[in-house]
Amino acid sequence: MPISPDIETPMLHGQELQSQKKREEWVLLGLSLPAIFVIALVVILPVGWLFYLSFVDGHGNFSLEHYQKMVEYKSYARVFITTFKVSALTTLICIVLGYPIAYFLAALPSRWSGIFMLAVLLPFWTSLLVRTYAWLVLLQSKGLLNDLAIQIGLWDSPVKLVHNMTGTLIGMAHIMLPFLVLPLYGAMKKIEPDMMQAASNLGASPVRAFFSIYLPLSVSGLVAGALIVFVLCLGFYVTPAVLGGGRVVMVATQITAILEHQFDWGAASALGVVLLLATVLVLYLAGRFFKFDTALFGKR
Amino acid sequence: MVKILKKNSRGVFIGGVVALLCSGSVAAEPITVVSWGGSYGAAQDNALFNDASKNSGIEINRESGASMSKTCLQVESNSVSWDLVVTGSGGAAAAAAKGCLEKIDYSVVDVSDFYPNLYTDYCVGSDVFATVMAWNTDKYGEPGSANAPKSWADFWDVEKFPGKRSYRANNVDGALEPALMADGVPADQVYEVLSTRAGIERAINKIRELKPHIAVFWESGAMQAQLMKDGEVDMITGWNGRFDNAKKDGAKVGYTFNQALLDYDCFAMPKGAPNKETAMKFLAEISKAEYQANLPFHITYGPTNKKAYEVTTAPKELLEALPSHPKNVPLMMPISLDWYANHRAEALELYMELLSE
Amino acid sequence: MNNSTALPISIRGLTKKYGDLNALNSVDLEIKSSEFLTLLGPSGSGKTTLLMAIAGFNRPDAGSIKFGDAEMVLTPPHKRDVGMVFQSYALFPHMTVSENIGFPLKLRGLAAKEVMGRVDEALATVQLSGLGDRAIDQLSGGQRQRVALARAFVFRPRILLMDEPLSALDKKLREHMQIELKQIHRQLGVTTVYVTHDQREALTMSDRIAVINHGELAQVDTPEAIYNRPKDQFVADFIGESTMLSLTRGGDGRLSFGSEIISSSSPNPSVSKWSLVVRPERLHLLEGDVNTSEKQVVFRGHVKEYVFQGETAFALIALDDVTILSVRFGTGAGSRIQLLEPGALVSVGLMREDIILIPQEGQT
Repeated sequence: MPISPDIETPMLHGQELQSQKKREEWVLLGLSLPAIFVIALVVILPVGWLFYLSFVDGHGNFSLEHYQKMVEYKSYARVFITTFKVSALTTLICIVLGYPIAYFLAALPSRWSGIFMLAVLLPFWTSLLVRTYAWLVLLQSKGLLNDLAIQIGLWDSPVKLVHNMTGTLIGMAHIMLPFLVLPLYGAMKKIEPDMMQAASNLGASPVRAFFSIYLPLSVSGLVAGALIVFVLCLGFYVTPAVLGGGRVVMVATQITAILEHQFDWGAASALGVVLLLATVLVLYLAGRFFKFDTALFGKR
Repeated sequence: MVKILKKNSRGVFIGGVVALLCSGSVAAEPITVVSWGGSYGAAQDNALFNDASKNSGIEINRESGASMSKTCLQVESNSVSWDLVVTGSGGAAAAAAKGCLEKIDYSVVDVSDFYPNLYTDYCVGSDVFATVMAWNTDKYGEPGSANAPKSWADFWDVEKFPGKRSYRANNVDGALEPALMADGVPADQVYEVLSTRAGIERAINKIRELKPHIAVFWESGAMQAQLMKDGEVDMITGWNGRFDNAKKDGAKVGYTFNQALLDYDCFAMPKGAPNKETAMKFLAEISKAEYQANLPFHITYGPTNKKAYEVTTAPKELLEALPSHPKNVPLMMPISLDWYANHRAEALELYMELLSE
Repeated sequence: MNNSTALPISIRGLTKKYGDLNALNSVDLEIKSSEFLTLLGPSGSGKTTLLMAIAGFNRPDAGSIKFGDAEMVLTPPHKRDVGMVFQSYALFPHMTVSENIGFPLKLRGLAAKEVMGRVDEALATVQLSGLGDRAIDQLSGGQRQRVALARAFVFRPRILLMDEPLSALDKKLREHMQIELKQIHRQLGVTTVYVTHDQREALTMSDRIAVINHGELAQVDTPEAIYNRPKDQFVADFIGESTMLSLTRGGDGRLSFGSEIISSSSPNPSVSKWSLVVRPERLHLLEGDVNTSEKQVVFRGHVKEYVFQGETAFALIALDDVTILSVRFGTGAGSRIQLLEPGALVSVGLMREDIILIPQEGQT
């Protein structure tokens, strides 16, 4: 048979290949089904249940009483304000402390950064409760810090460092710091050293090069870390309870009080729902300033 | 499982051995008994549970973390695993109102020798305690001395007794009554005043007055003891037994029963408890005077069974330190479960409002 | 855009040690104003260290670097006013093409309007007009290379440094860019120091080449001189292809290979051992019986290997049991490559002018 231009040739096996591609797509979907199922089971169902409970009164009827109560008593609004204030301040402290730490770690040669990274991560291996009580021992009016300060004459009578907002912020910042440092360190490690050389070569002073180049390039890690810290802080219970001295009432504290002393799932659920929605709102607003996909997945 | 090794009195021990030998035929499922941690749970193990288990042949699983909210959660989700749960009297009343508790079978549990106010349809008193006013004895003197604080009015008097105060956090139980007494309401009219919103607000306002001097709000009995041990505050409200134990640990702390709130803890049974009948028998056993008589050796909480005062071998000073001792009871004001059943929710909301300010 | 402020660079006694390693060992180098000088050497030779020292990114242990009359050795990099193209381009990923190129101008306080004009001008020079708003990751490798170049010269630096700027490009694009860089250099007239390990690239682009090895300059010369008159075995070996033939010295100072007299006298009487460097393409195939003469030296041997490579043909010719000569011939008519049958005995001639003599290693 003479070789002639055959229009059918490019489509040879076309149908077969197409159907095989379809089959592969179905298989892939099938493989991810268990994961989708687990997510539905452990995330979507409970959150749905939470919503449902918050709209049901003690007799099982639909009711808005839990939400009405949150308007009626000022404590709820205050608790939300406190929660967001504590979370924002903790995040701010973590940024101020964590940025230089991450910078230092990223600048060190790798064998040294490993050792210092260990020091940053060490708190992760200690129970949260132990760390919180350790701060209590350090900060209370007859604690180590006050004793030392009085002994060397920094101040005359004990300064109130704990059982208040100050103590809460110190404890929470300590616990949250690694969550900020880790993603930030990752982002900084990805900045090639020749970026800073290039900036300097083009005439930027070290300070200018930092603000024009290094900071913008590390900001994705910073935002990711800050988000993690902020969101984790919103649900904090132990540390404000122990170090706040009952003065720093956060949403988790209020939920516990309602559950422990009133057995009122509906009211507690309503608080949970409002916290969830408020968090989503804050993240959405923050998302309008930063590109989250950039922050969280490092892709532009 | 509890290890049956502790012996408190020889008679009980021998009886236990006999009971063990004879109890082969009553082999029942082990029941789950839930109490609190710390010195309280240990005291119950040593005085009540271990010996009663030995003598009755009923095996028990001892768990900690007793809570009426968890009890209700188990009941509402049809997954009850607890048989007997320790609770405060107010908590039991609230849980009973929600339908979370089994009625006590008083044909099995003998309460004929109990103080009349220390059992209800849904819970049997385990011990009597008092919410007292305690203070640093280095600062204000030993209890009973001329200059020591004597009343709730003194607790509020920051000019006569300058220093840092500590008050209850996140729970209104026992928080409003002292405020009204400090405000001049006689003990027998406190609950009458508190039965209106205005009365509750009056109490809250009184606490608001003191708030600048409240350095710490305490969250638990363990925290009360720790605050006094560390000298972090000078005057505090709290449970008498915790302060006695803190004093044993070297804390400079003293307290008065004057105007204290007389209250009790009790055993309740979750609705649908898996071993209801066995647990009821065990409840009958631990309510006997012979076990309650041992309680004062471990914590200064009084027996609920009057007969325990007769059979106990505890010395007189120890007995006189108990809240339920006839000498002390008249000084105090008994808690009203009725009031808590009707007003607790509203009072808690208002108290949380004060705390969140 | 001819740059009247182009500056000469004068390097004296520059020394840099990393531990025991002498990265630069007392280097002296004079780079003329507007010159295109290439630092050529194998990896680890010290060429990048020298470039970084000029840019100010590493501080030498001793020595002097002058731009014109100004001593620079203590000046921080951001005050040196030299443009640099990095091997990785080091473009700022969070800035557009225009922002990248405008960055040095903004640092110098130029008004936004002037920045825009200069950026457009630079973009036109590197043939990227209209791409100013692109993000960096939307560019191809060649386009990035051009942006990096534009950014390096847009602020009219007195000196331009390039660190293997073409190494990431494929062969065709690289060869194209070599010519283009050369044109841009001519257009800008800026003193340029270029680092590469690719001898072909160095030969193509440079006014002069500084061959560097083990932290020392082996030879600094024009491409032609480096190729035709390498000073030592390293330079001869590193630049271009070659076969080294060991020569024997007769009593009268004559240097010969076998029976063929290569040179009647030694170029330097104090050196006893010499090698003949034979460039493969400098040989030509001879037909019939031709002997060594005044004009040329003739080698005879058997064809061991023959490969046709398009524009040239390559062969290995065994002169004796141990000596194998590489040869390369054009493939056009008259090149006589039909003689290169494997195993055939052939004669190849080397013109006397093409004789390169170098002292053997370890001799000075």
